[in-house]
Amino acid sequence: MTSAPLFPENFLRRLEGLTLAARRAMNGQTQGERRSPRRGQSVEFADFRPYSHGDDFRRIDWNAYARLERFFIKLFVEEEDLTVHFLLDASRSMDWGEPNKLQYARQVTGALGYVALSGLDRVTVNAFGADQVLPAVRGKRQALTLFDFLQKVTAPTVESAAPDPTRWITAYAAAHTRPGLLVLLSDLMNDGWMDGLRLLAARGFEVNILHILAPQEIFPQWNGDLKLIDLEDGAGVDITADYDLLARYQQNVSGWQAEWRQFCAARGMGYVPVQTTLPLDELLFAWMQRQGVLR
Amino acid sequence: MNFLAPSAFFLGLLLPVIVAFYLLKRRRTEQPISSVYLWQRMVRDVEANAPWQRLRFNWLMILQLLTLLALIFALARPFSWTEGSSGQAAIFIVDTSASMAATDVAPNRLESARQRARQLIADLPDSARVTIINAGMEAQVKVSSSLDRRQANQALAEMQITPTAADLTTALQIASAIAARQPGTDIFVLSDGREKLPTHLVVKGRLRYIPFGLSGDNQSVSLVSLQPAADGTQTAFVQVSNYSQTYVTRRLLLYADGQLINSFDLKDIPTGGQRGVSMEGLPASVHQVEARLDGADALPLDDHALTVQQQAQKITIRLVGGNNVFLNTALSLMPGIDLIAEEPPSLPATALTPLPAGTPTTQPTPTAALTNDSTPALTIYDATLPDTLPKQGSLLLIAPPGSTSLFNLNSVTLVKAPTPRALDASDPLLNHVVLSNISVLDAVDISLPDWATSVIGGDLPDGRSVPLLFRGEVNGQRVAVLAFDLHHSDLPLNVAFPLLWSNLTDWLMPGARQGLPAQVAPGGALTFAAPAVSPTEKRASSATIVRPDGSSIQVQAENGQFLFNDTTQLGLYQVRYTGGAVADFAVNLLSAQESDLLPADSLAGVESQEAGATSGQLGQREWWRILALLALGLLMGEWLVYQRAALARFRDFLRVRLPQRMSGLRKGLK
Repeated sequence: MTSAPLFPENFLRRLEGLTLAARRAMNGQTQGERRSPRRGQSVEFADFRPYSHGDDFRRIDWNAYARLERFFIKLFVEEEDLTVHFLLDASRSMDWGEPNKLQYARQVTGALGYVALSGLDRVTVNAFGADQVLPAVRGKRQALTLFDFLQKVTAPTVESAAPDPTRWITAYAAAHTRPGLLVLLSDLMNDGWMDGLRLLAARGFEVNILHILAPQEIFPQWNGDLKLIDLEDGAGVDITADYDLLARYQQNVSGWQAEWRQFCAARGMGYVPVQTTLPLDELLFAWMQRQGVLR
Repeated sequence: MNFLAPSAFFLGLLLPVIVAFYLLKRRRTEQPISSVYLWQRMVRDVEANAPWQRLRFNWLMILQLLTLLALIFALARPFSWTEGSSGQAAIFIVDTSASMAATDVAPNRLESARQRARQLIADLPDSARVTIINAGMEAQVKVSSSLDRRQANQALAEMQITPTAADLTTALQIASAIAARQPGTDIFVLSDGREKLPTHLVVKGRLRYIPFGLSGDNQSVSLVSLQPAADGTQTAFVQVSNYSQTYVTRRLLLYADGQLINSFDLKDIPTGGQRGVSMEGLPASVHQVEARLDGADALPLDDHALTVQQQAQKITIRLVGGNNVFLNTALSLMPGIDLIAEEPPSLPATALTPLPAGTPTTQPTPTAALTNDSTPALTIYDATLPDTLPKQGSLLLIAPPGSTSLFNLNSVTLVKAPTPRALDASDPLLNHVVLSNISVLDAVDISLPDWATSVIGGDLPDGRSVPLLFRGEVNGQRVAVLAFDLHHSDLPLNVAFPLLWSNLTDWLMPGARQGLPAQVAPGGALTFAAPAVSPTEKRASSATIVRPDGSSIQVQAENGQFLFNDTTQLGLYQVRYTGGAVADFAVNLLSAQESDLLPADSLAGVESQEAGATSGQLGQREWWRILALLALGLLMGEWLVYQRAALARFRDFLRVRLPQRMSGLRKGLK
């Protein structure tokens, strides 16, 4: 756990110019700044429909009546808030690498959360593996609450079997019936993520995955006979690290990322593979904008 | 395949050891990582905790096994039998004579011999000592009993053709002397066998003659001359010889002073025959004639020859006491003599004896022609002596009237009736000279000095003997003394006189009567008189000789004679004397021995004392070096395979990261 601020102040000012992009309109709870599928009171024209009994006659389009001699009602877009769900993988496997993956995920969550709060969206954070939850907060004033929460998120210190992501996501989906924008920040080093994400997509969540890996996981530079020890459960794998094996491993990592990209594309999910060496501002102001997560 | 050290194969027991290393379970270093999730999907090296594991294909193991195998085979020293030498020493006599420049084997015979020698040296056992003898104009030992193969190859590479015959006899004698103190020596003679050899020569060591050459298809310019004719013109004569086995037709081109003046088609020159052409009426102004055979044959060296006008060379002889008719006659008959006659000077104070009868007594009046600067090749004092004997040129003293710095008289009186007797019949002064009919009336009684050799002694009636003619060299000056007056003997009337006179002047003035020759054989020494330099009549003391390749050498005259022996280049040599006079001479091969290229099957007359001579000698070619190199290559390959990951990272750095960093640096500079 670190008590240092997640970002410098001027970095937050730059974040205020960004907006989390939702690929489709979703129902909110209160008035906000996001388009809602409902028709409402905003100034943005949405559609016409024939006048029916009981409609507010102030909404009759008299110009249309002049041309067609029939009454039409003008419909406008309703603007509501949006709940942004951050699922932060805080398992032991994330607390590894140089730069550290969990710290990197905390910073990205903080930055995206601040962007959402600045846009009058609701933000909720669930730390997977650490059983820490930040209930939904709204408004820029809650940014400090968010940052404080993120700084308290830590990986379990005791070696234990990795939790099952499917079960955890199923429980999460059951607890959050109103879908929204969901951002998963994880190294995805588990087999259960796909099933869980499939469920979330079916429930109407707009899922974006930030696949965070340390450079040592993509390009390991080892040599000789090694016993690889898993940080989560202490399982070991014997390898003889030579050129062939490392080349095959890198191919395997590339294939694994391609598999995830294909999985996400098939379900309308956003997929952003990230190395922790990528500077945060480059990720937010260039990389994620190109991926359509931010605009 | 045979092995010199088959016991090295016991090292093959190490092969299973290497395999065992790969079978043994290795101790592994623990490496904590975030998750083994990805590794479990692909890992291949998971094994149970048994001490042994299944043997898998591994390039490193294969390369290590191959390296060990190559080293074991190298240590076993495999060899194959060759036709080279297996002795403890080998002597290579390489013929570098003119005939070895023949191109009937590509590129030429010498180069082929050089390559063969290199191959034989490479096949020698490592402990064999190598001697290289260059059989050119002289036999020279270039490398003596050396183990350094590089030095031997260097000596072979430096060998060059000398346009002369090869001194194979001396080379064989040197090789025999070396072989005598090195048992088991093989002597390789790499030659075409076209050299003169003694009728019987026994060589120690095993002799093997390796002939080079395929055919004798060659024609040569065997003679060229330029002679003055009676009508003032000149006549050129050229002879072409055919050494091939068929009749041939060649075109001969004749050049005068560098200009083509005629060509002759010499048709059907018979095998072993000659064809001559002459061209008369050449102007007297033509100085140089060159004959050149058009077209190509096996030996280009003998396809051209040149000659120049014979140059007359005059020498000066100073005669003091000029009333001797016999001397005057003898001197006047010698060609190219510039005689300076002088009256005798007054008798020196040391004169102890009266002059013989007939000796002129007039006072000396030096002739105007003789200046203090002039240096006669020979000064003759006939019954007279100067105050001081000249230090330059040779001296002939006839009946000296007194003692000099060179000798002393025993008595003031003349000895009577000495009987001349040849003391050493082989002396060059007595060549063809018979003294039996010679009588001498009287002679000066001279004590034979230490520097002198008595040639003719005079036996006196009292049993004593006095020297009548003695000769010797004092401080580089040749001196001869005739103890009796020619007028007091019948020698001038005898046939022995012209012979003795000729021998005497030849010895006193070696080569003096010879001017610069028109042409000489390559490698031969050349003696020619220094010409007088006008107008002072002083003789040239030095000369610069420019060789055909443009290089030059300075030579100094000694006693009015130049000696030059560096005639190893064919072509025209120019002699530039001090004082400005210029002369030239030509060096032509003109050697039937070298032009007749047909290689000899054997070295006739040469025998070897040891068995195995001239037959196919078996040698051993070792292969361990190649195997050691192979092992080194395999070891490097194993290292590269082991370091593949690092090499790949380095390659990526060069291809991607370095250009990126350079690009960033450039942007930063902008």
